[in-house]
Amino acid sequence: MTTDPTVPRPRTARWLLRLHRPALYGFAALVIVLAGLELALAGPLADAAAAGWRQFDACHTSICSYDQAAILRYKDYYEYATYALDALPFLVAAWAGAALTGRELETGTARLSWTQGISPARWLTVRLVLPAALVAAATCLLVWLHHRAWAAGRGRIDTASGWYTLVTFHANGPTIAALALAGLAAGTLAGLLLRRTLPALVLGVLVTVGVAVLAQQLMPHLWPTVTRVTTLQQGGIGSAIVLDQGLLSKSGAHLPMPNCTTAAACDAAFAKASGYYTVYHPYAHYWPLQLTTTALLLAITALLALASCLVLRRLTGALRAAGTAVEAKDALVTA
Amino acid sequence: MSDTAIEATGLGKRFGRRGGRALHDCAFRLPTGRVCALVGPNGAGKSTLLALAAGLLAPTDGRLRVLGTSPAAARPRVGYVAQDKPLYPQLTIAEILRMGADLNPGHWDPAAAEHVVAGGDLEPGTRIRSLSGGQRTRVALALALGKRPELLLLDEPMADLDPLARHELMGTLMAQAAQYGTTIVMSSHVVAELEDSCDHLLLVGGGRIRLAGEIDDLLAAHVRVTGAADSDRLDAHAVVESRVTGRQLTALIRPAGPLPAGWRASAPTLEELVLAHLRNPEAPVLTTAPAATEESAA
Repeated sequence: MTTDPTVPRPRTARWLLRLHRPALYGFAALVIVLAGLELALAGPLADAAAAGWRQFDACHTSICSYDQAAILRYKDYYEYATYALDALPFLVAAWAGAALTGRELETGTARLSWTQGISPARWLTVRLVLPAALVAAATCLLVWLHHRAWAAGRGRIDTASGWYTLVTFHANGPTIAALALAGLAAGTLAGLLLRRTLPALVLGVLVTVGVAVLAQQLMPHLWPTVTRVTTLQQGGIGSAIVLDQGLLSKSGAHLPMPNCTTAAACDAAFAKASGYYTVYHPYAHYWPLQLTTTALLLAITALLALASCLVLRRLTGALRAAGTAVEAKDALVTA
Repeated sequence: MSDTAIEATGLGKRFGRRGGRALHDCAFRLPTGRVCALVGPNGAGKSTLLALAAGLLAPTDGRLRVLGTSPAAARPRVGYVAQDKPLYPQLTIAEILRMGADLNPGHWDPAAAEHVVAGGDLEPGTRIRSLSGGQRTRVALALALGKRPELLLLDEPMADLDPLARHELMGTLMAQAAQYGTTIVMSSHVVAELEDSCDHLLLVGGGRIRLAGEIDDLLAAHVRVTGAADSDRLDAHAVVESRVTGRQLTALIRPAGPLPAGWRASAPTLEELVLAHLRNPEAPVLTTAPAATEESAA
């Protein structure tokens, strides 16, 4: 009855890939299309838009000829690529909740697997680790390509999205890869909790939205901010992640931005001020912010995976034959 | 190697924190090599008991040992077919059998699985989603038998099958039991369906075990008696059920000694025995096999 080490292990991964073949093909097609789009954005589309801007900037007459279509094309395609990449974690969450665990528990095929040589621990581990590897690899590739496409426009295209905008910040760095992994774990947990396809799909997406909002709220506070004072002529700092901004009174106190509607009222408000203060993250904080947010998201992912493990254990009793449940948990967390 | 296939002590299962009890305080022992009928009305807890034995559910109370170990540890040696015969609809028959081989390395018997499928005249390239209920049952049984289990747990296995297929598959199961000494537990709410093939009975009613033991022993322990309604009382015996029609009284009893004069005794059928116990939840529980043994606890 003891497991003989010479007996080959069940080929679980192969069958997971076979069962989710349509999803795998769909995901591969999406990644290829997005990668192609990012490559085009980084190359010909950015070059054409930059040329258009050069024409425009060189023009000082009232009637100019410049390639407006190229500028708009770059801007539109950049937005499609960015939004598609930012939406990927929610797609992963929906798939994980519906197809990976929810449907299997609803139709009873999970029980078929558990009585066909796959222990529940192995069933869950394979379902978390294999898609996690694929999703992480694909999102990291897309993020790198996206950052490349963004950098190609930086400084050359006047309408290029700033590093600090919400959609560009996440599509440019590893946070979106970590959020995709959180989505995978959230969907898996939703499927195990609800044991039905459609509700698990909805809950998986909702939990991922919650995680994304939480991470976005915490992100500016994960690294020390910089406070800078600028003169009234210079104006406040805009191209950065700004946490707080207002007027600096002559005595050095922080005043809120005046909410004035008439020129007289504005003049009166600015008369009391000596300059602006801005509490913000400069571009130098880009990587610290990316990495700390990624770490936060990975910690949430680990908690969700651990919760999946506990829910499955409550459902089926011991996940493995003997006391190796802890080992399985460790494997999930490190995966 | 244990001589006990399933042993339960004080076994209970409750669904949800406030949910009803599916099983309560169940105790029985099923020796290996038996073909056991798990009988009870709908909702009695048959499926819950089988899922607990297959290691798919965790019990709330009590203890369950399967093949001398925990249900989770016994999983590789147990075959299980759920009531709704879940299978991956997108796979073909050939693929799902190959999956069985891949997931049970070292103890997969392709001939046994293919034999079951071949009996149904099924094309290996057919997708599961296009199969009828009976054909799905056949494929699900093929998966369970291909694993060459020591204990086979079948939840309502024959419900979707036509009489011919039922007869043929029952023959396959009995051959498996005879050839490899496989213990088989089959649930049904129709007693007649299992009467000819089974030698052991577990009767579940209201989440409790009502009768457990060898069918011959259980039948021998009961007598159906008929007599005048005013004849000597049956107080000395355990009365499972008694009915008065006109001036005549018919009763099913467990005789504790010789019957008083004036009673005509006859042997009950299994169906009569089962129905009498189900109609009278107050009837005392009878388990003819010892509930716990020192050997299997070790």
